[in-house]
Amino acid sequence: MDFLAYPAYGLYLLLILGGGLGAILSQSLVRALMGLILTLFGVAGMYLLMAAPFLAFMQILIYVGAVSVLIFFAIMLTRSSDGGEAGREGSRGLGRMLLGLIAGLTPLAILAWVVVHKAPTELPLKPEASLASLGQYLTGPYALAFELISVALLAAMAGAVLLGFERRRAR
Amino acid sequence: MTMTEILNHPLTQIVLGMVLILAFVGVNGLILVWMERKVVGFIQRRPGPYEVGPQGILQSLVDGVKLIAKQLVTPRGADRFLFWLGPMLSVTPVVVCFLPIPFSPALTTMDVNLGLLLILAFSGINVLALCAAGWGSNNKYALIGAARAVSQSVAYEIPLLLSVLCIAFQTGSLSLSAIAADQSRGLLSWNLWVQPLAFVIFFISATAETNRAPFDLPEAESELTAGFHTEYSGMGFGLFFLAEYTYMIVVCSVATVLFLGAYDGPFLPGPWWFVLKVYALILALMWFRWTFPRVRFDQLLNLCWKWLIPLGLVNLLATALVLKLVE
Repeated sequence: MDFLAYPAYGLYLLLILGGGLGAILSQSLVRALMGLILTLFGVAGMYLLMAAPFLAFMQILIYVGAVSVLIFFAIMLTRSSDGGEAGREGSRGLGRMLLGLIAGLTPLAILAWVVVHKAPTELPLKPEASLASLGQYLTGPYALAFELISVALLAAMAGAVLLGFERRRAR
Repeated sequence: MTMTEILNHPLTQIVLGMVLILAFVGVNGLILVWMERKVVGFIQRRPGPYEVGPQGILQSLVDGVKLIAKQLVTPRGADRFLFWLGPMLSVTPVVVCFLPIPFSPALTTMDVNLGLLLILAFSGINVLALCAAGWGSNNKYALIGAARAVSQSVAYEIPLLLSVLCIAFQTGSLSLSAIAADQSRGLLSWNLWVQPLAFVIFFISATAETNRAPFDLPEAESELTAGFHTEYSGMGFGLFFLAEYTYMIVVCSVATVLFLGAYDGPFLPGPWWFVLKVYALILALMWFRWTFPRVRFDQLLNLCWKWLIPLGLVNLLATALVLKLVE
């Protein structure tokens, strides 16, 4: 079924780009979230194409099923009188758009330069890595990195709580 | 290509499987709605539907026609896109959830290596659908219903995963076919006898995940009118209803595969045993619904955090320890 890979790649690319455009162009925060979810689905599809179904399903389980739901909850809890509409009029000025474009295009330019100048040779698709070996790598050679990531998450959580308390005191 | 080649092609099998799954889902929806009304009738000592057809068996078919014929109304001020995305998003993932379920060794649409993970991932999308519906309705009851649905299913996903992990540890595989094959050596090889606690935790969490009473806070009629589907008419509501009943089948099928030996049983062919076990579990769900009163929100969270999660963790650690010792 190799012939299906190209249309599938195109479909996932469309999902990622369309979702991304939907996320930045829509006025309502919840609609933007739906765009983001579409993008996450596209990324999961790309993982499938790269023969990493475990990552693909984890992407859907964690990002679509949990993280985006948390974002939705955050939107709902911080809902102000404007009903989930993004920002004030002033936030859509030309200067900001320019800054946004620079922020978006810089990584794109760097990646494009790398791809053009250091074009990768075509690699044969590696066989699917087994779950057991993935687990052994995460608890063996990559154990420190794995633990450090969880510390970073913990720090982010503590920071969020701290910020929440400070804002309440200011009120 | 000859006819057999076309039939044996994996693509043909997936398409055929999906068509059959949709038919299965539709017919089961009709039967389950009728069954639920009959069961509540018996429990409340009244006959239930009995006018349309023998024992009222055609009642849900007629109701379905009524739902389809009704006008679709979008409330003023609602977000049209999100409002209609909700019911559609709630039914679509169901088809994927049935792909890896082994009704029998031969009757499996797609033997996915990570089947269990696939079902867990795609059944989580239903929460998102409820969010979209609740937000898009522009109705405070719908929004509160959606918020309750989200918090409930996020909380109960943890004990559910903990209990599922025990079985995955024990079998050493996330493939539903492998887990089913592991239990196909008669009644005593079923996982239920080894992991009774995991089964209880799984079943309680699954009841909460499907928003079934006694955990039906997202659509508590006495407080929220109808919760997240307050504003929906006709098939908008119909799709949510179909999704709820189909998730009941998915959850009971997974419970059957994980704990009750899937298609294992004497005399009858495998698929019949599978369907019988699934229906027995669904009857238990219905029995719960009409026996227990709805829990309060604090009771809901206490049950999850003070009982199910600690018990699930202890059970998981004990399973890992025993497996290590046996090794």
